[in-house]
Amino acid sequence: MTELKSVIKLMFIERKDMYISVFFGVFAGISTVAVFAISGYIVSKAALLPPLYILTIFVALLKLFTVIRAFSKYAERYYSHKATFTILSNVRTYFFTKLEGLAPSLFQRFRSGDLLARVVGDVESLQHFFLRVIYPPIVMLVVFLTTIIFTTLFSLPVALVLLTGLILTGFCIPLIFAIKQRGIQSNIRQLRAQLSTDTTEFLYGFLDLKLYRKVPLKEKALRRTSDVYIGEQKDRGKQEQLNFAVNHWVSLVTSWSVLALGAYLVSANELDGVFLAMLVLVSLTVFETATPMTEAPSYFEDARNASTRLFSIIDEAENEQERKNKNKVVDLQKAPEIECANVDFYFPGEDRPTLANVSLRLPSGSKTAIVGPSGCGKSALLHLLLKLYSPSSGTITVQGQLLADLDEDQFWENISPVLQSNHFFYGTVRDNLKLAGEHISDKEMNEVLSWVKLDHLSLGATILEKGANLSGGEQQRLAIARAILKKGSLLFLDEPTSSVDPITEQRVMNKLFTQAKGSTVVLISHKLTGLEQMDQIIVMDKGTIIETGTYPELIKRKGYFYQMKQIEKSVFL
Amino acid sequence: MKQLKDIAKKQKKDTYSLSFTAFVIGAMTVTQALLIVSIVMLIFLEEKPFSDVISQLAALLVVFIVRGIFSYIHGKIGIGMASKAKKQFRESLLTHYSHNPIQTSIKGQSGKRVTLVTDVVDEIDPYFSKYYPQRILSSIAALILLAAVFWQNWLSGLIMLVTAPLIPIFMIIIGKKTEKKALQQLDNLTALAGKFLDSLQGLITLKLFGKGREEAAAIKQSSVDYRTATMDVLKFAFLSSLVLELISMLGIALIALEVGLRLVVYQNISFFAAFFVLAIAPEFYKTLKDVGSAFHAGKGSIAAAKKIVEELAESDQTITWGNERLSQIAGPPSIGLNNLSFTYGEDHFSLQGIQATFEPYSQIAIVGASGSGKTSLLHLIAGMYAPSTGEVLINKQSLFTYDEGEWFDKLIYISQDPYIFSGTIKDNILIACPGKNISEEALNYAIEKAGLTELIDQLEDGANTVIGEGGRGLSGGEKQRIALARAFLKRPSIILFDEPTVGLDLYTESILQQSIQELAQNATIITVAHRLHTIKQADCILYLEKGTLIGKGTHEELMENTEDYLTMLKEQQGGMAG
Repeated sequence: MTELKSVIKLMFIERKDMYISVFFGVFAGISTVAVFAISGYIVSKAALLPPLYILTIFVALLKLFTVIRAFSKYAERYYSHKATFTILSNVRTYFFTKLEGLAPSLFQRFRSGDLLARVVGDVESLQHFFLRVIYPPIVMLVVFLTTIIFTTLFSLPVALVLLTGLILTGFCIPLIFAIKQRGIQSNIRQLRAQLSTDTTEFLYGFLDLKLYRKVPLKEKALRRTSDVYIGEQKDRGKQEQLNFAVNHWVSLVTSWSVLALGAYLVSANELDGVFLAMLVLVSLTVFETATPMTEAPSYFEDARNASTRLFSIIDEAENEQERKNKNKVVDLQKAPEIECANVDFYFPGEDRPTLANVSLRLPSGSKTAIVGPSGCGKSALLHLLLKLYSPSSGTITVQGQLLADLDEDQFWENISPVLQSNHFFYGTVRDNLKLAGEHISDKEMNEVLSWVKLDHLSLGATILEKGANLSGGEQQRLAIARAILKKGSLLFLDEPTSSVDPITEQRVMNKLFTQAKGSTVVLISHKLTGLEQMDQIIVMDKGTIIETGTYPELIKRKGYFYQMKQIEKSVFL
Repeated sequence: MKQLKDIAKKQKKDTYSLSFTAFVIGAMTVTQALLIVSIVMLIFLEEKPFSDVISQLAALLVVFIVRGIFSYIHGKIGIGMASKAKKQFRESLLTHYSHNPIQTSIKGQSGKRVTLVTDVVDEIDPYFSKYYPQRILSSIAALILLAAVFWQNWLSGLIMLVTAPLIPIFMIIIGKKTEKKALQQLDNLTALAGKFLDSLQGLITLKLFGKGREEAAAIKQSSVDYRTATMDVLKFAFLSSLVLELISMLGIALIALEVGLRLVVYQNISFFAAFFVLAIAPEFYKTLKDVGSAFHAGKGSIAAAKKIVEELAESDQTITWGNERLSQIAGPPSIGLNNLSFTYGEDHFSLQGIQATFEPYSQIAIVGASGSGKTSLLHLIAGMYAPSTGEVLINKQSLFTYDEGEWFDKLIYISQDPYIFSGTIKDNILIACPGKNISEEALNYAIEKAGLTELIDQLEDGANTVIGEGGRGLSGGEKQRIALARAFLKRPSIILFDEPTVGLDLYTESILQQSIQELAQNATIITVAHRLHTIKQADCILYLEKGTLIGKGTHEELMENTEDYLTMLKEQQGGMAG
């Protein structure tokens, strides 16, 4: 139950609908019992030929209860479902907000297909928690207890039989099946997640799968996963069916006992015969409210598993959050100065440091290039400066303030980023550019698009998921346009033009640097050309800084940078 | 609706079994009422001693047992049918995706497709596990109950006969309205899933642009939209059960009035018949109402089936491969492009009338500004996409007359961003040679040639380190080198190479240059090139502009005849000097 605590907490954020639905649920249950009690009584009474007005009164009562029942049921259903979906939307938003705190390291740890399965699927399963786990027992208990008290007015033994039936069908049998369901349920969740992950990989990696002729194999594996999944669902269905059958049967046997006991009591003159039909009908009806209880255990298991999985991620996020919670709000000057001192960084779960003892200074308004071979840690360094990761040891300061203490949102407001893989959303070019600011005019957007040589894109053109309908170079230029539009005083550029042809590259970069005149710029570059204008060049290899200086200084030194330049020349010419 | 009905009808044996169990359940319901009524009558009216009803009580117990067992069997058959149907739908989706590469790889949101394969298929379930068995049960049981009432009291039977059709009529009226809503609700669910995956993947971008909170609000909004849509559907479902409730109440009340009047005023009916009719009537209406609620559960399935059928209807030009052999021919084949055109969706993917021939062992460079259709051309040569017009000729025969497997065996495609599967480094390299037994030496040779040795040595688990989405993230250069290792393992006779040495570190660049030279000795190599180095070495250069072939020839030839090429080249060298 501990796993569900957080869900219950979320549930009670908006609880009015819940109370209303329980109220109407009880009302509907009691009127159903009343309807059958009255009709059983009427038919017996009628056989004794009573005065007509007595019958009329009871027929009127019968009508009244039926109408009440019909409308209460409607209200009950409406409000209980509304409550459920409200809970659902709260859970979903809560989960996304929490995930946001974990963003960068998240994708190292979980596969996105799996995450999707968790969030969409698991949140979906939580919808049943209130509707089918919390709510039915409450309604059942109230209705049953009322009925049992009513029955004691006529016969205590019959009431006791009903009580036994209630305990059996409402608690014992569901509990036994709940225990049996445990394994199946968590299996189904896992299989569902696996199916989702496999499908995601199948669709994203499709072209490569096809080229390596793995499509039939992967398809077969997917089918197998699907078959196992369907098989488990089938087992669960059968289990539920059995559960339902047994429960229903016990309730019938209870009614049978009421009939047998009642018949005996009447023949022994301990019960007026006119009530016999009524008691039997009451007993047959009251168990209807216990029917939802047969589903409760499997939904309980479902919800428990779903929330365990959901909150295992959230817990991690919360740990992360604790470290970040000392947010200080700092007003950054136009172009901030940044300093790193003895920074080490390890990726989670890795023994090898990605960055070791890195110290550097980026003066306000300076232009710095970081170069070095692939995997030397330059992107990781940029991520640290971006406050996406935290250093394992050492400090990073922005204008003398610890970066770790800064309010993330405020800090990021000042940054114009172009990352190695820039995300574009399914939507128009305009939607994607508007990320940089809500109030940017179309005119301004078009102007910046022409700076980056994307004049052929209209603002209304559709961009597919992950920018799939743009070439690599177009994606990068669109990302640069977005960064320019954001007008941050800190520019972080991670190989921003690696897929752009040289001439366009030069034009775009010139424009970018003109726009960023007063800003602090960090450029990660795979090329050494065009670095002459930089104030400082940092050369990295295997996680450490090996050279620092201006372009002429480094060339003069004839060190690592010089050698890289020589290789580059030979490749080009 | 029709698809689901057809599937259900095809499962004949199950339909018969369902009818049989429904018949037994109906008969038991009548027997149960008869026994209860006679026990009450004997004890209450005739004041018989308890011992007189013992045998009937025992019979009643048996009836309960039989009814319970048959209800269980009835439900179980439905579950089995649902499993078969889900399997069928999911498999046809997968088969469809694997035969329609363009649709699968570039159009729309993959998140939506994932939901389609998982959740939407699961939504098929209720039609078979709930609605279909209930429909059979209700139609058979209702007839049996009606017959029983006619037997005891024809007037009550008549009332039931008149009121009962109102239930399906209202069901149809309300159901019609719900259908559209249910479809809309399903749209909302898939949109929600797509939105979520998209947002999740762009989380870092969102955070940096300070839109994390707004995105959470957007997700809340789409959740709320989903709630509103669902409530709209449910409101109708609840309303319909309210109407059904009121109709059945009307029926029961009429019967009660009729029976009451005849019992008390006219005194022309027995207590037995009266009580029996009153016991059966609620069961009769309940069984009809049950179809109603099962019908709503089944509605979702119909909408889901529609979605799937729509997806299946959308298709690319299908590629059908022949079975001409290609493997006996030693060395690379000649490749011809005959009036090749390709358009897809918006103008972002288009090529027009490409004409060219590549001799075996030649080195071809495709050159052009970004967005000029170079990658699409490579996809067409690879046989991934079907051309709109024209054809790719291999040894002067259409590419698609050959056996698919043998063609892909000859070929390797090193893309800009090679896909790394979840799995170990080793698995990711071995994928190049499916089904072949690769020796440790061959693997190590490929690793060394691709310049991965140092990387692997640094890792604790070596080549068994898990990479891909769930494992260690690789840099672009490392991914390229993995793709290169695949090539060295495979030793293809055709190499398709997309934008080499772009955005990589110098180490990978030099490895790539060396490796490609080595691989080129035994292969035809077609490169989408940006580098002068690669271009100068090419035997033939195709210069593309906006999907059309502007110039063709060696570097020198193009310098002489193609002005645009010269301009581009100048810019390239200008970039160099800069």
